[in-house]
Amino acid sequence: MTSLIDAKEKELLQTRLAARLAGLLGEQAAALPHDITERLRVSREQAVTRARMARRHAETAPASASSVVALPGGLAVFGGPSAWWQRMANVLPLLVLVAGLLLIEQWTAREQVLAAADIDTVLLSDDLPPDAYADPGFAEFLKSPPP
Amino acid sequence: MATDKELSDFLKSVEKRAFKRTVYAVRGDDAALDIVQDAMIRLAEKYVDRPAAELPLIFQRILSNATMDWFRRQKVRNAVMTNLSDFEGSDEQGDFDLLETLEAVEGTLGTESASDAVSRSQILALIDGQVAELPARQREAFLLRYWEEFDVAETAALMGCSEGSVKTHCSRAVHALAKALRAKGITP
Repeated sequence: MTSLIDAKEKELLQTRLAARLAGLLGEQAAALPHDITERLRVSREQAVTRARMARRHAETAPASASSVVALPGGLAVFGGPSAWWQRMANVLPLLVLVAGLLLIEQWTAREQVLAAADIDTVLLSDDLPPDAYADPGFAEFLKSPPP
Repeated sequence: MATDKELSDFLKSVEKRAFKRTVYAVRGDDAALDIVQDAMIRLAEKYVDRPAAELPLIFQRILSNATMDWFRRQKVRNAVMTNLSDFEGSDEQGDFDLLETLEAVEGTLGTESASDAVSRSQILALIDGQVAELPARQREAFLLRYWEEFDVAETAALMGCSEGSVKTHCSRAVHALAKALRAKGITP
């Protein structure tokens, strides 16, 4: 019991000393040099100006957001029909680009198939059997200069 | 939403303490002024819609963050970590009498005497120096709790620690200051 009271007294004493020291610190802070208090004043005024600008910006922002349209079915379309079309206009070039790339890929694949078919046709319709091209002796014959 | 006047009055009421606290942390007037300005502008731009009553806590949080940002920019992370690790100090707290120090402080400074104005300013500077010498967490707890007058819960929230830690930091800070003042000759 006595130790509890001691602890309480000690805490009270500590708080009193701390408050006294903090008061003295405050006294010293109040006597800051003039150039520092001036710079603090300028900073404060800048901050207040920025706050005013931010408040103005916040006031104008809801006005542009007021075009949120609530449809009878409970559906809300943000920004109304014009905004919807604007978004579509932004997406449309991207869609055209993707479709174009797909078409080009299809066309290239078809061209490759046709070219391979032409080569096959020539090979198969030639007098020379296709196996001859795999023969090393025939390859040497082709490389050798004509007599 | 805080009005311009409320914001201006609030900033006026905290700016000097904020500056001093930042000087303790960064040990430079110019850097401290930049940090306080940065914190004021962040408060004004981002929290202008908050009620005036919420500004003190928000501002202290912004100021702490701005100070940490400054340290990051300075790339002295190791130095900061050294300052923050204040768990190594000795725990001897009961070896001297707080009451004696309190009486000494009040005895020396409590009565307004014109004759020892110089001595008074010297003692104020001494206290200022001793606060600057405290480990960062102890100093932060002491200043938030007793200078900014936040309660234990608010101080704990601002410092990101438990209420018990705040009490411990404060107690250690007060004892360290009392001990340092006695060592400097402020005795009854």
